[in-house]
Amino acid sequence: MERTPSAGLARSEHGQPSVRLAGVTRRFGPVVALAGADLVLHAGEVHALLGENGAGKSTLLGILGGMLRPDAGTVEIGGAPVVLRSPRDARSRGVGLVHQHFALVPALSVVENLALGQRSGRGGWALPHERVRAEAIAMIRRTGLEVPLDATIEELGVGERQRVEILKALLRDPPILALDEPTAVLTPREVDALFDLLRELVRGGRAVLLVAHKIDEVLRVADRVTVLRQGRTTLSAPRAEIDAPTLIRAMVGRDIQDAAAVGWGSERGARGGAVGEPVASLDKVRVREASGRLRLDDVSLTVCRGEIVGVAGVEGNGQRELALLLAGRIAADEGIVRVPARSGFVPQDRTREGLIADFDLVENVALALHDDARFRRGMLLRWAEIEQRAEEVRARFGVRAPDVRTRAGALSGGNQQRLVVGRELAGSPELVVAENPTRGLDFAATAFVHEELVRLARAEARSAIVLVSTDLDEVLALSDRVLVMTRGSLVPVDEAHRTREGVGALMLGGRDAVA
Amino acid sequence: MRWRERAAPVGVGAAAVAAAILLSGVLLGLGGYAPLDAGRALLGGAFGSADAFFSITLVRSVPLLLTGLAVALAFRAGVWNIGAEGQLYAGAIAGVWVGLLGAGLPAWVLGPSVLVAAALGGAVWALVPALMRLRLGVGEVITTILMNFLGIHLAAFLVHGPLQEARGVFPQTDQIDPAARLPVLLSGTRLHVGFIVALLLAVGLSLFLRRTRLGFHVRAVGASRDAASVAGRIDARRVTLVAFLGSGALAGLAGGVEVAGVTYALYEGLSPGWGYTAIAVALLARLEPMAVLATGVLFGALESGAGAMQRDAAIPAVWVIAIQALIILAVLALDQLRRRGVGGAASV
Repeated sequence: MERTPSAGLARSEHGQPSVRLAGVTRRFGPVVALAGADLVLHAGEVHALLGENGAGKSTLLGILGGMLRPDAGTVEIGGAPVVLRSPRDARSRGVGLVHQHFALVPALSVVENLALGQRSGRGGWALPHERVRAEAIAMIRRTGLEVPLDATIEELGVGERQRVEILKALLRDPPILALDEPTAVLTPREVDALFDLLRELVRGGRAVLLVAHKIDEVLRVADRVTVLRQGRTTLSAPRAEIDAPTLIRAMVGRDIQDAAAVGWGSERGARGGAVGEPVASLDKVRVREASGRLRLDDVSLTVCRGEIVGVAGVEGNGQRELALLLAGRIAADEGIVRVPARSGFVPQDRTREGLIADFDLVENVALALHDDARFRRGMLLRWAEIEQRAEEVRARFGVRAPDVRTRAGALSGGNQQRLVVGRELAGSPELVVAENPTRGLDFAATAFVHEELVRLARAEARSAIVLVSTDLDEVLALSDRVLVMTRGSLVPVDEAHRTREGVGALMLGGRDAVA
Repeated sequence: MRWRERAAPVGVGAAAVAAAILLSGVLLGLGGYAPLDAGRALLGGAFGSADAFFSITLVRSVPLLLTGLAVALAFRAGVWNIGAEGQLYAGAIAGVWVGLLGAGLPAWVLGPSVLVAAALGGAVWALVPALMRLRLGVGEVITTILMNFLGIHLAAFLVHGPLQEARGVFPQTDQIDPAARLPVLLSGTRLHVGFIVALLLAVGLSLFLRRTRLGFHVRAVGASRDAASVAGRIDARRVTLVAFLGSGALAGLAGGVEVAGVTYALYEGLSPGWGYTAIAVALLARLEPMAVLATGVLFGALESGAGAMQRDAAIPAVWVIAIQALIILAVLALDQLRRRGVGGAASV
């Protein structure tokens, strides 16, 4: 994509920044989320906000979006200091927010969700469904963000929900658009389309704030980058003056290498090692949803010790069912399923399925251990041992929490994911099923999860790893074998097609053939 | 939980009671009553003498404690059992029936049998909404309320017909066999062994929820059904069934303890709505069994004080109901404020 120099022009034309956050501080109980962060956002620029988990990105966005009030510091919009009392307040001042944790009504259809919060139609009561539908169709055409307009939200996968969330914000056409890690569950093609769209938006004089976690994406799309670390702004510079190492240093304060960032092609051959005996196998398996529609159609797969099997696919093609099946969470309607009684499972929706916000770290760790003979004594749980394991998980997986008695709900998204991943990997199970395990994680945390997965497969534990991910780079970088889920079928990818383009084409194959 | 977190509910409860008392005083004043006289009568009736405290306040708190525990257990599992009242009646019916039939059996057999029968009766009453929820997907809020009407009116039917006393004068059953009655705990008072039963069950339920595996399952399913089943691989349906039955058994036991410890017979209107007040008892205790001990006695004291208020200060007992409602509202409001202050939902 070409990068336009328009940002600088727009700045000088408009002079006044669209948004200025200065010295913003916010704490949650004992946790300091922001400690005097600064951010200046101009009209006409795509401004990327980078930072590790817990660096304060979401909090900063929450303040800009009117969901949170700063304890100290000032917020200016269009040059005037403002106090944003509510999301509605922020919206009326032109801030549109795309949430990371979805703010959608599950029981309503996509159109109805899009219509919520839009100016009302006749008499101010009816929701303007027809107008919204027409606008949504136009916007889908423009952006390529495919969503089924009449499906209810609860029928949609995470990726589809993300697309709805983006559409919802775009339909309001706000002068200031802030997106919280929107690309995590999008396909490469959708990411490209979204970035094209963002560029188009800023050309029209809008300001875009993009919270991102992939450095290459930031470098590709941003005019300016601000980096937060531990609640403070550590870097704010135009794109031209920075490169990847600079950003990483600003984020983590040291240099890190990630298997996925190093490049998927280079290492794969050398990694190898012989695979061991099978630990899980599916033979001609079918899974139906309640309506009778096939989610998995004639799927066969054997996973062996010491190998990482990557499953790529567009959200909603059956990989969710595949993951649940392998992890022993659901049963098949037809076919033979052999899976270990106990396995590690990292579900993709960590806040809903991965952990319990009202439980502390110990209790959340207990979720994976209560069945384990080592952690129970008859009817009782061995809480002392479980607490010890929780301490290990916290220390080894870098869960940033004051202590193991902290509520999981008080942790940042990234730290919650560290907790889930740590819990599932800590016991070195013979099989680990990970669904989008690095979704929404920052660079360091992603590298860490990747390292842990690889280590588990290679080290003496020699676990079998099934990595189900919508992140193609991740799948390609880590996997010994790559398969693609498309319309309920599992398609192996041969060496010749093991490229972004090749796998991408396979992923979309089913859908394109029908469309 | 940390000590501070565990102590917080107590602080909230106390603040709520204080706020509600203040508001009630203002209301009483506006209503033309002397708030101080009313307060004095209420306190005197509840705590004024050993007899008031042991024979009235504590005796009245026993069914509230047991039904409060019943509601706390159900709510902790995410089961919205509004049917403690009906389950209490089912327990009372079963208890009286066994107490009448078992005449002649030794006390060490008959006494416990009455209580076991009462618990089973309550559990059976809860089984109906449990199966409707698990098999048919019918929400238990509606079904448990409807089962209340069935329980209340079944008791009324029985005492007017099949189980009516031999004399056939009053709509009540005969008195149960003396061997079926619960012994008095403190001689000279009416406080019976049922209070100890409630105390032990509160401790037991607290340990169950905190220490045992099944108790952990109950808390996990109640806190997040999805996470419990996916991350915890917990059979949520089984946990739901356990919670229904356990809750029903506790509420049924309340009915059994009341007939075996206080009335010795079943009659119409045995319960002045304990099964409903139990919801307030449990919520005020923030569903913590040990805290139910405090809130159950508090509501018992309000009930016994209400009588005194009416008698000594000529204030209608409905005022006490209003005060109870104010306490609950104050708790809910303060609890929300506390959560917001501590910063519950923080996505950093």
